[in-house]
Amino acid sequence: MKALVAWRMIAHEKGRSALAIGGILVAILLMFLQLGFYMSVPQGGLLFYDKMRFDLMLASSSYVFEAQASTFPRRRLLQALALPEVTQIAPLYQESGRWLNADGRLARDVFVIGFNPNDVIFDLPEVMSQSDVLRRPDTILVDTASRPEFGSIGVGRQIEIDHRNVTIGGTYQLGTGFVGLGVAMTSDLNFVRIFPRQKLSDVSLGLITLQRGADPAEVVARLRGILPADTQVFTRREFTNHEINHWVTRTSTGLIFGFGVVVAIAVGLVILNQTLSTQIMRNLPQYATLKAMGFGETHIGGIVAAVAIILSTISYIPAVGLALILYEIIRRATLLPIEMTSARMLAVLALAWGMSALSAIVALRVLRRADPVELF
Amino acid sequence: MDVAATTTSLVDIGRATLARPSFKSHGSTRVPLAWRNLLADKRRLLRSITGISFAVLLMFLQLGFRNAFLDSALRVIQSIDADIVLMSTTKFRFGRKDPFSRRQLYAARAAEGVLSVRPIYGEWMTSIWKNPETQKTYNAQVLAFDPDEPVFLLPEVNQHLQELRQPDTALSDANARRFYGTASAGTETELSRRRIRIIGTFALGPDFTTDGTLILSDRNFLKFFASDRLAAGTLADVELGAVKVQPGYAAEEVKQSLRQLLPGNVAVRTKAEMLALETAFQNSVSPVGPIFLLGTAIGFVVGMMISYQVLYTDLSDQLPQYATLKAMGYDNAYLVQVVLTQSIFYALIAWLPAWGLGLLLYRLIGDVALLPMHMTFGIVIGTLAITIAMCAIAGLLAVRRVLKADPSDVF
Repeated sequence: MKALVAWRMIAHEKGRSALAIGGILVAILLMFLQLGFYMSVPQGGLLFYDKMRFDLMLASSSYVFEAQASTFPRRRLLQALALPEVTQIAPLYQESGRWLNADGRLARDVFVIGFNPNDVIFDLPEVMSQSDVLRRPDTILVDTASRPEFGSIGVGRQIEIDHRNVTIGGTYQLGTGFVGLGVAMTSDLNFVRIFPRQKLSDVSLGLITLQRGADPAEVVARLRGILPADTQVFTRREFTNHEINHWVTRTSTGLIFGFGVVVAIAVGLVILNQTLSTQIMRNLPQYATLKAMGFGETHIGGIVAAVAIILSTISYIPAVGLALILYEIIRRATLLPIEMTSARMLAVLALAWGMSALSAIVALRVLRRADPVELF
Repeated sequence: MDVAATTTSLVDIGRATLARPSFKSHGSTRVPLAWRNLLADKRRLLRSITGISFAVLLMFLQLGFRNAFLDSALRVIQSIDADIVLMSTTKFRFGRKDPFSRRQLYAARAAEGVLSVRPIYGEWMTSIWKNPETQKTYNAQVLAFDPDEPVFLLPEVNQHLQELRQPDTALSDANARRFYGTASAGTETELSRRRIRIIGTFALGPDFTTDGTLILSDRNFLKFFASDRLAAGTLADVELGAVKVQPGYAAEEVKQSLRQLLPGNVAVRTKAEMLALETAFQNSVSPVGPIFLLGTAIGFVVGMMISYQVLYTDLSDQLPQYATLKAMGYDNAYLVQVVLTQSIFYALIAWLPAWGLGLLLYRLIGDVALLPMHMTFGIVIGTLAITIAMCAIAGLLAVRRVLKADPSDVF
């Protein structure tokens, strides 16, 4: 009954209700957009790690984040093998080099990842099926998401990385995240050919696979006892959290988008409240009439709350649709890994409903003071 | 609705009529009808203003973020004392090492109109700074110059030339990211595993790839970062050449003669061109420019919707008054003028607190994120213009309700 009355009130003046819905819609869309930008920052930072196979990660004690990984002795990985729970180890090499696109006469940063082609490191069939290509000397696989300034990413094309001629042996698609404008993968041997200052005995990251059923936390504790201070050990979860924390709290990108989210939510909620309370106040005479007719406060309160909830819910549905479309456009234009998650959808809906309830309470306080006689 | 307000407005109309015996519209009214309408219900005014203000605040912040993003990378270039900059042709951003032979700097001195050519050395990859408090290590941007030929516009740097000449000394950026630790005069720590003594600080700040900066003398720089290829005691490669032009010469003409003199691997750019190159690069890395402009556009749309809603509600409530005006013979142009004036008042009143709050938040965010959030003249004027446009459009859309009003229907 309350919902029906509320619906009648909304449907009565369709134009104005549509306007209110439009305002709420844009406010919700704003929150979705800023949350999308913000969450894309750690997601971009985790692009590679999410696709790597490991239970534990070894990193240098000076490891800052993926693009500032530093190195530690490969020996530490072999030491880790001493534990019976450790079934596999795989070293990973990373370095940023200069990619020269001779056609476009342009140089750009390229992030190069090197690994032993015999190790299954990535959960990317495209990469793993091309491990024979990587065994060829001076051959790389290039991410097709690399920026257009890199020139055509055609198989067989020769380019220069850090003054060394290399051939593009194949392509794959993962995305470049924030480590550089382009990403290339190659074998460990090719890696030290391209970067002669790097040594195979100094690795950037060490991927450790554990026996099924082994407790990662327990193995980490024992590894920390074995390994010297130059190396850190992370469980998968610890490593992910470390990376997210770095991107969100320590980079300018994370900080700016973080402030963006705070502002968007504040502005969105104020606008939501402003729109809803205008809508409710506009119907004040009707509520007063109900009051004069003898309806109780809880009853009227229920109607007001229903109006607010219905308005915000009606706005929420197209806002989600529009947000999905905008996410897609932004993903294509900026290559940011911006994605909708169900947690975000629920959080925004909760915010919208929370604000609806709050607006209804504020409106009710006005209503309580209102004398039916005065309203006409 | 509010009886008192209605009465006031009707009284206003009466006065307006008395003041204007001829019903020719346009021209000035002695009674500011738009203003009185605005103030008729103060509580409602406050509510309306809050909504519009927050939309404007959103625009302020989005534009501020955009500037902070683009400007942070430019601060270091702006602090170079040069009219023209020599750099490697393949150097595509400031923070990426791409040195060229110092010999070219001597060649450049021969060009007509050149007053001085001074070297700047830089290192970004192998320069590892140890936080003196936590002993954790981070990449740092290290710049170096000859203390006999100062090249930075940072006053603190030029005050410490004598100390910089001492071995293993550096100036550190007081605005570096917090995780660099606080280094002040006297702090001893390590740079690339060698002991270094901080003799003072300067204020620069981080950008999107650099977290902190150190400035050294060229001789100390060599000790820390000379590549193996170099013979001892030589500073063979420089990162940039800072060219000052003799008085009486235009930078552009000196640039042309330098261009003819220097080989193809050295690019000759005016400082403005170098800034433009950096901005273009920042834009190509992550097109944040459009992202923040999108945010601004959303602020505009939200603001327009809210001000439309506000004006529409106002006009609906004051419909009898407007109908009365119409019945008295005022033409539509006059009504449009009143509504438009009222909407511009809304714009101005809403913009002002947004600007104040914006200043406060710029300060706060700038301090926390260490980014250059500046309330530039462009942002102030831009947002004001956008806000007025936003409210004026909303006013024009809302005024239709009044124009349609038929006096005989209202009563």
